[in-house]
Amino acid sequence: MLLHDRRPKYLNLFKIKLPIAGIISIFHRLTGILLFLFIPLSLYFLQLSVKDASSFQEVTALMHYPLSRFFILLIVWSLLHHLLTGLRFLLIDMEFFLDRKLSSLSAWVVVVIEALLMFAVIVGLFL
Amino acid sequence: MSMVALEGLRPWILQRLTAVYLLLYVFYVAVYWLFFNSFTYNHWLQWLSDDSNQILLSLFYLSMLIHSWVGIRDVLLDYIKPFLLKLLLLFGVALFLIGSGFWLIKILMMVKA
Repeated sequence: MLLHDRRPKYLNLFKIKLPIAGIISIFHRLTGILLFLFIPLSLYFLQLSVKDASSFQEVTALMHYPLSRFFILLIVWSLLHHLLTGLRFLLIDMEFFLDRKLSSLSAWVVVVIEALLMFAVIVGLFL
Repeated sequence: MSMVALEGLRPWILQRLTAVYLLLYVFYVAVYWLFFNSFTYNHWLQWLSDDSNQILLSLFYLSMLIHSWVGIRDVLLDYIKPFLLKLLLLFGVALFLIGSGFWLIKILMMVKA
Protein backbone atom coordinates (compact mmCIF):
# COMPACT_ATOMS: atom_id res chain seq x y z
CA MET A 1 0.00 0.00 0.00
CA LEU A 2 1.26 3.43 -0.85
CA LEU A 3 2.10 5.73 2.02
CA HIS A 4 -0.45 8.38 1.08
CA ASP A 5 -3.25 5.80 1.10
CA ARG A 6 -2.64 5.05 4.75
CA ARG A 7 -2.58 8.63 5.98
CA PRO A 8 -5.45 9.35 8.36
CA LYS A 9 -8.23 11.48 6.91
CA TYR A 10 -9.62 13.99 9.30
CA LEU A 11 -11.84 16.41 7.52
CA ASN A 12 -14.21 17.78 10.13
CA LEU A 13 -14.20 21.40 8.98
CA PHE A 14 -15.25 22.64 12.40
CA LYS A 15 -12.29 21.02 14.14
CA ILE A 16 -9.59 21.95 11.66
CA LYS A 17 -7.75 25.01 12.95
CA LEU A 18 -6.38 26.88 9.98
CA PRO A 19 -3.53 29.34 10.45
CA ILE A 20 -4.34 32.93 9.50
CA ALA A 21 -2.60 32.50 6.13
CA GLY A 22 -4.96 29.62 5.38
CA ILE A 23 -8.03 31.58 6.38
CA ILE A 24 -7.27 34.58 4.17
CA SER A 25 -6.42 32.18 1.36
CA ILE A 26 -9.85 30.50 1.56
CA PHE A 27 -11.42 33.94 1.50
CA HIS A 28 -9.32 34.80 -1.55
CA ARG A 29 -11.12 31.97 -3.31
CA LEU A 30 -14.57 32.90 -1.99
CA THR A 31 -14.20 36.58 -2.89
CA GLY A 32 -12.91 35.52 -6.32
CA ILE A 33 -16.15 33.61 -6.94
CA LEU A 34 -18.19 36.61 -5.72
CA LEU A 35 -16.31 38.98 -8.02
CA PHE A 36 -16.83 36.60 -10.94
CA LEU A 37 -20.58 36.63 -10.27
CA PHE A 38 -20.45 40.43 -10.09
CA ILE A 39 -19.12 40.79 -13.68
CA PRO A 40 -22.56 40.92 -15.39
CA LEU A 41 -23.91 43.25 -12.71
CA SER A 42 -20.94 45.58 -13.21
CA LEU A 43 -21.70 45.65 -16.95
CA TYR A 44 -25.37 46.30 -16.27
CA PHE A 45 -24.54 49.30 -14.07
CA LEU A 46 -21.93 50.51 -16.55
CA GLN A 47 -24.54 50.42 -19.32
CA LEU A 48 -27.12 52.20 -17.17
CA SER A 49 -24.59 54.86 -16.14
CA VAL A 50 -23.83 55.86 -19.73
CA LYS A 51 -27.40 55.64 -21.08
CA ASP A 52 -28.58 59.10 -20.01
CA ALA A 53 -28.36 61.55 -17.13
CA SER A 54 -31.36 60.18 -15.27
CA SER A 55 -30.14 56.56 -15.44
CA PHE A 56 -26.80 57.81 -14.17
CA GLN A 57 -28.63 59.38 -11.23
CA GLU A 58 -30.38 56.06 -10.58
CA VAL A 59 -27.04 54.27 -10.33
CA THR A 60 -25.48 56.83 -8.00
CA ALA A 61 -28.67 56.89 -5.90
CA LEU A 62 -28.05 53.20 -5.04
CA MET A 63 -25.63 54.39 -2.38
CA HIS A 64 -28.55 55.66 -0.30
CA TYR A 65 -30.57 52.46 0.14
CA PRO A 66 -29.64 50.26 3.13
CA LEU A 67 -29.84 47.00 1.16
CA SER A 68 -27.77 48.25 -1.77
CA ARG A 69 -25.31 49.75 0.70
CA PHE A 70 -24.83 46.28 2.11
CA PHE A 71 -24.11 44.87 -1.36
CA ILE A 72 -21.78 47.76 -2.20
CA LEU A 73 -19.83 47.05 0.98
CA LEU A 74 -19.77 43.32 0.21
CA ILE A 75 -18.36 43.94 -3.27
CA VAL A 76 -15.87 46.58 -2.13
CA TRP A 77 -14.68 44.26 0.63
CA SER A 78 -14.42 41.34 -1.81
CA LEU A 79 -12.36 43.45 -4.18
CA LEU A 80 -10.09 44.76 -1.41
CA HIS A 81 -9.59 41.33 0.11
CA HIS A 82 -8.97 39.67 -3.26
CA LEU A 83 -6.50 42.36 -4.35
CA LEU A 84 -4.57 42.48 -1.07
CA THR A 85 -4.30 38.70 -0.62
CA GLY A 86 -3.53 38.43 -4.34
CA LEU A 87 -0.69 40.94 -3.95
CA ARG A 88 0.62 38.85 -1.05
CA PHE A 89 0.51 35.72 -3.26
CA LEU A 90 2.45 37.56 -5.98
CA LEU A 91 5.10 38.49 -3.40
CA ILE A 92 5.20 34.85 -2.23
CA ASP A 93 5.81 33.84 -5.87
CA MET A 94 8.81 36.16 -5.77
CA GLU A 95 9.97 34.22 -2.71
CA PHE A 96 9.11 36.72 -0.01
CA PHE A 97 7.50 35.54 3.27
CA LEU A 98 8.51 31.90 2.76
CA ASP A 99 9.46 31.45 6.39
CA ARG A 100 6.58 30.37 8.64
CA LYS A 101 6.70 33.41 10.93
CA LEU A 102 6.83 35.86 8.02
CA SER A 103 3.98 34.01 6.36
CA SER A 104 1.79 34.58 9.39
CA LEU A 105 3.00 38.12 9.89
CA SER A 106 2.32 39.09 6.27
CA ALA A 107 -1.16 37.55 6.53
CA TRP A 108 -1.86 39.68 9.62
CA VAL A 109 -0.54 42.76 7.81
CA VAL A 110 -3.08 42.06 5.04
CA VAL A 111 -5.88 41.78 7.63
CA VAL A 112 -4.90 45.05 9.30
CA ILE A 113 -4.58 47.01 6.03
CA GLU A 114 -7.91 45.56 4.92
CA ALA A 115 -9.62 46.63 8.15
CA LEU A 116 -8.20 50.16 7.89
CA LEU A 117 -9.26 50.51 4.25
CA MET A 118 -12.75 49.17 5.00
CA PHE A 119 -13.05 51.67 7.82
CA ALA A 120 -12.07 54.44 5.39
CA VAL A 121 -14.59 53.15 2.82
CA ILE A 122 -17.42 53.12 5.36
CA VAL A 123 -16.55 56.62 6.56
CA GLY A 124 -16.13 57.91 3.01
CA LEU A 125 -19.28 56.36 1.57
CA PHE A 126 -21.78 56.75 4.34
CA LEU A 127 -20.80 59.42 6.84
CA MET B 1 11.32 20.02 -20.00
CA SER B 2 8.61 17.90 -21.58
CA MET B 3 5.40 19.35 -22.99
CA VAL B 4 3.40 17.76 -20.19
CA ALA B 5 5.51 19.53 -17.61
CA LEU B 6 4.75 22.86 -19.32
CA GLU B 7 1.02 22.15 -19.46
CA GLY B 8 0.10 24.03 -16.27
CA LEU B 9 2.58 26.87 -16.75
CA ARG B 10 0.63 28.95 -19.25
CA PRO B 11 -2.51 29.45 -17.13
CA TRP B 12 -0.29 30.06 -14.10
CA ILE B 13 1.58 32.86 -15.90
CA LEU B 14 -1.61 34.31 -17.41
CA GLN B 15 -3.18 34.41 -13.95
CA ARG B 16 -0.26 36.43 -12.60
CA LEU B 17 0.16 38.80 -15.53
CA THR B 18 -3.54 39.66 -15.56
CA ALA B 19 -3.46 40.02 -11.76
CA VAL B 20 -0.76 42.69 -12.00
CA TYR B 21 -2.73 44.63 -14.62
CA LEU B 22 -5.99 44.38 -12.63
CA LEU B 23 -4.22 45.62 -9.52
CA LEU B 24 -2.69 48.61 -11.32
CA TYR B 25 -5.93 49.51 -13.10
CA VAL B 26 -8.08 49.39 -9.96
CA PHE B 27 -5.50 51.58 -8.24
CA TYR B 28 -5.56 54.07 -11.15
CA VAL B 29 -9.38 54.27 -11.24
CA ALA B 30 -9.72 54.49 -7.46
CA VAL B 31 -7.14 57.27 -7.16
CA TYR B 32 -8.53 59.16 -10.17
CA TRP B 33 -12.17 59.17 -9.05
CA LEU B 34 -11.79 59.19 -5.29
CA PHE B 35 -9.16 61.87 -4.88
CA PHE B 36 -8.96 64.02 -7.98
CA ASN B 37 -12.35 64.25 -9.60
CA SER B 38 -15.99 64.59 -8.71
CA PHE B 39 -18.19 61.86 -10.11
CA THR B 40 -20.65 63.67 -12.40
CA TYR B 41 -22.45 62.40 -15.49
CA ASN B 42 -20.65 64.68 -17.94
CA HIS B 43 -17.23 64.01 -16.55
CA TRP B 44 -17.92 60.26 -16.45
CA LEU B 45 -19.00 60.21 -20.13
CA GLN B 46 -16.06 62.34 -21.15
CA TRP B 47 -13.69 60.05 -19.26
CA LEU B 48 -15.22 56.91 -20.83
CA SER B 49 -15.12 58.28 -24.39
CA ASP B 50 -11.45 59.14 -24.15
CA ASP B 51 -9.51 56.75 -26.45
CA SER B 52 -6.83 55.77 -23.96
CA ASN B 53 -9.42 55.15 -21.22
CA GLN B 54 -11.44 52.98 -23.60
CA ILE B 55 -8.36 50.90 -24.37
CA LEU B 56 -7.38 50.64 -20.69
CA LEU B 57 -10.93 49.68 -19.71
CA SER B 58 -11.12 47.06 -22.49
CA LEU B 59 -7.81 45.63 -21.31
CA PHE B 60 -9.17 45.63 -17.76
CA TYR B 61 -12.21 43.57 -18.74
CA LEU B 62 -10.11 41.31 -20.99
CA SER B 63 -7.72 40.69 -18.08
CA MET B 64 -10.64 40.10 -15.74
CA LEU B 65 -12.25 37.59 -18.13
CA ILE B 66 -8.98 35.67 -18.56
CA HIS B 67 -8.25 35.86 -14.82
CA SER B 68 -11.75 34.59 -13.92
CA TRP B 69 -11.50 31.82 -16.48
CA VAL B 70 -8.35 30.43 -14.89
CA GLY B 71 -9.64 30.98 -11.34
CA ILE B 72 -13.12 29.54 -11.80
CA ARG B 73 -11.67 26.69 -13.86
CA ASP B 74 -9.39 25.82 -10.92
CA VAL B 75 -12.33 25.95 -8.50
CA LEU B 76 -14.48 23.69 -10.71
CA LEU B 77 -11.61 21.22 -11.24
CA ASP B 78 -11.09 21.12 -7.46
CA TYR B 79 -14.66 20.61 -6.28
CA ILE B 80 -16.79 19.13 -9.09
CA LYS B 81 -16.15 15.43 -9.48
CA PRO B 82 -18.72 14.12 -12.05
CA PHE B 83 -17.06 14.50 -15.45
CA LEU B 84 -20.10 15.56 -17.47
CA LEU B 85 -21.24 18.12 -14.92
CA LYS B 86 -17.71 19.54 -14.78
CA LEU B 87 -17.61 19.81 -18.58
CA LEU B 88 -21.02 21.45 -18.69
CA LEU B 89 -20.12 24.01 -16.02
CA LEU B 90 -16.80 24.83 -17.72
CA PHE B 91 -18.66 25.32 -20.99
CA GLY B 92 -21.23 27.54 -19.26
CA VAL B 93 -18.53 29.68 -17.64
CA ALA B 94 -16.74 30.08 -20.98
CA LEU B 95 -19.95 31.23 -22.69
CA PHE B 96 -20.72 33.58 -19.79
CA LEU B 97 -17.28 35.21 -20.05
CA ILE B 98 -17.30 35.53 -23.85
CA GLY B 99 -20.80 37.00 -23.68
CA SER B 100 -19.65 39.52 -21.07
CA GLY B 101 -16.83 40.58 -23.39
CA PHE B 102 -19.27 41.29 -26.23
CA TRP B 103 -21.54 43.17 -23.86
CA LEU B 104 -18.65 45.48 -22.91
CA ILE B 105 -17.94 46.17 -26.60
CA LYS B 106 -21.59 47.13 -27.05
CA ILE B 107 -21.47 49.52 -24.09
CA LEU B 108 -18.27 51.17 -25.33
CA MET B 109 -19.91 51.70 -28.71
CA MET B 110 -22.87 53.35 -26.94
CA VAL B 111 -20.47 55.83 -25.36
CA LYS B 112 -18.81 56.71 -28.66
CA ALA B 113 -22.07 57.12 -30.54
